[in-house]
Amino acid sequence: MDFSFSSDQQLLRNAARSFLDEHMTPATARTLWEDPRGESEAIWKEMAQLGWLGLSLPEAHGGSGLGMVETAIVLEELGRTACPAAYWPTMLAATAIAEAGSDAQRHRWLPAVASGEVRASVALLDAELDWHPGATATRAERTSDGYALTGAKRYVPWAHVANVLLVPARAPEGLTMFLVEAAAPGLTLSSAPVMDPGMRWVDVTLDRVRVSADAVVGREGAAEASMLALIRRGAVGAAAEMLGAARRCLDMAVAYAKVREQFGQPIGSFQAIRHTCADMYLDVENSHSAVYYAAWALDARADDHEVAASVAKSYVGDAARRVCGEAIQVHGGIGFTWEYDLHVYFKRAKALEVMYGDGDFHRELVLRAVS
Amino acid sequence: MDLTYAPEDRAFREQCRAWLEANVPRHDLMTLDERRAWHRKLYEAGYVGMLWPKEYGGWGATPMQQAIVQDEMARAGAPPAINGLGIGFIGPTIIVHGTEWQKRRYLQKMLTAEEIWCQLYSEPNAGSDLASLRTRAEDQGDHFVVNGQKIWTSSGPIADWGILLARTDPGVPKHKGISCLLLHMRQPGVEVRPLKQITGHSLFSEVFMTNARAEKRDLLGKPGQGWEIAQTTLGYERGANSLGRVTRYAISFTQLVRAAKDLRRGGRPLLQDPVVRAKMGKLYAELEVQRYAALRVLSALDKGEAPGPFSSVTKLSYTEFEKRFYETALEILGPYGELMSATADYEEVDTSSGEPGTWATAFLWSRAGTIYSGSSEIQKNIIGERVLGLPKEVRADRLRA
Repeated sequence: MDFSFSSDQQLLRNAARSFLDEHMTPATARTLWEDPRGESEAIWKEMAQLGWLGLSLPEAHGGSGLGMVETAIVLEELGRTACPAAYWPTMLAATAIAEAGSDAQRHRWLPAVASGEVRASVALLDAELDWHPGATATRAERTSDGYALTGAKRYVPWAHVANVLLVPARAPEGLTMFLVEAAAPGLTLSSAPVMDPGMRWVDVTLDRVRVSADAVVGREGAAEASMLALIRRGAVGAAAEMLGAARRCLDMAVAYAKVREQFGQPIGSFQAIRHTCADMYLDVENSHSAVYYAAWALDARADDHEVAASVAKSYVGDAARRVCGEAIQVHGGIGFTWEYDLHVYFKRAKALEVMYGDGDFHRELVLRAVS
Repeated sequence: MDLTYAPEDRAFREQCRAWLEANVPRHDLMTLDERRAWHRKLYEAGYVGMLWPKEYGGWGATPMQQAIVQDEMARAGAPPAINGLGIGFIGPTIIVHGTEWQKRRYLQKMLTAEEIWCQLYSEPNAGSDLASLRTRAEDQGDHFVVNGQKIWTSSGPIADWGILLARTDPGVPKHKGISCLLLHMRQPGVEVRPLKQITGHSLFSEVFMTNARAEKRDLLGKPGQGWEIAQTTLGYERGANSLGRVTRYAISFTQLVRAAKDLRRGGRPLLQDPVVRAKMGKLYAELEVQRYAALRVLSALDKGEAPGPFSSVTKLSYTEFEKRFYETALEILGPYGELMSATADYEEVDTSSGEPGTWATAFLWSRAGTIYSGSSEIQKNIIGERVLGLPKEVRADRLRA
């Protein structure tokens, strides 16, 4: 048993950190907030060069064949810089294609994802904002050569830069997953600005969007389990990214507490501040354990990998919110300003807390599994 | 990163489980002799003193094997070994700081529980500020004369020996004037008075020393080295019972689920109440995080890494969790959570003291964890200073020193 990173994993982490520290400075991120696309083509291409876009994809399709642990390492670093990029939704869609897609779908999309040519996203929420797959209301009606999709998908991350969307819909056979190209007629996008300026959510309306029968991912009518699996994987990735944001906030709070003086002493010498920082550290380290246990369990298909994903998401969601919030408290007034960078990570953690199933959703899944 | 158990650890677990199935006593151990006999059986099976070097009677096992034994004992509901303080950290402290004579004289009898040990550290006026202790040990040439009072002494009435911190030099700053002595408890100058705890039990005592005698050869380390030794002692106390502890919580959780199926509110089982479900889901998620964290600590220990100040994180984490765990359980259980004797089987749970009890006693016991062995506040100071590198606080005693 070994809970520490292998030397390759350590190298990946170091490489990711130094790349992002150099290329995703807070100033760069702020420039992207103002950008209509909200992300950087140059950095996306660099991510492809670094092998991040094919990290967990099969080697036969241009990937590296690594797992969720490595992906979580990259995501933690992305969270640490609150990097504005369509990384995780693209990886999720690609993983779904790799796991359940046809050969044609894999050939069409996976090498293009790994090389950075295309981006993708997953449309998991319908109008009622219920993460249970059973709540999917978007319909897929049979046509002569395939299906016509109609419905409203909400808050699809980075849909405006995606070339293809993974869309669950209710077909005559039951819940089914479809690949829908963003350029398809009848598909309209409208952005939904959220508090994290480095995150883009987009409402996707489908009005009789026609797809051919080979756009189905996996078996018709059998998408409920794979959709839940996708949500769980999404949850582990989001937890990793929240962990990165939280660790950044902890580092900033500790550094500030060492230099900020009041009453003639550094504020970190006061127990009120020191104990807050110790509590934050505990939250961060427990979150690390939760994220990497869940990532490993997913890779290893451990008996408890489903519970572990829900544990990680619900625990880290709460912990990251606490840590990022307390970092603002430790900083005082400066932490509440737009110019100071803390709010960036605070908002990233908060945005991810509600994605891929919020805490209540996952705690219910946990309890169902053990009662 | 690979969290699968090594084949030899899996085999060891099987072997340990089989041994416990065959040997765990079928009835509660009532007398000290019965508990001593069970201890000796565990020792002879290789399940006590596991981390001790073989040359001192230990088994030279790995932290993983030790954790597996604790885990299987929790699963089997096996009574704990009797000389926990001695074996967990007094013995290891003697191994590190003791003379050859001390090692030969004390270690083997400690392992077999022929002699039971207690810790004489805290005083009525020296709790978190342990270094301000006032018990005096005066050098009389070939022995010390000890006067003072200790408190919160676990196993006091059954202890044969105690590891004692006493002031030998009042003329130097407080951390530097303390020495560590091994004190014979069965002598006229030592009086043990049991203290009744909030659980109604008496697992700890006050100890009064009036012209008690400690031999010169029983000085551990050098004069004035007591504080430094106490730091290593506290270090040994943390870390290795990680898995067994979480397994106990998991067993309690299973009983909570059974209770929530049995008890009803508003015409349906509690388990169908969304408020109860939310609380229980959160509780189990937190419990699992404790397990993941335990595996992380264990994997580091198993690679020979010293836990160092990180053990403060572990202690803070599980003791605070334990309070939340039983607080939430009692909220859910309502009146059943108040019972001090069990009638339904789900009312009976293991407490963190290692003694069986009810939800109420487990709840009461959970208040102890965040106080003993360095309170949560002390752990947070350690994390702040030694892990995060925050500046030390300005303290009146440091200014004087």
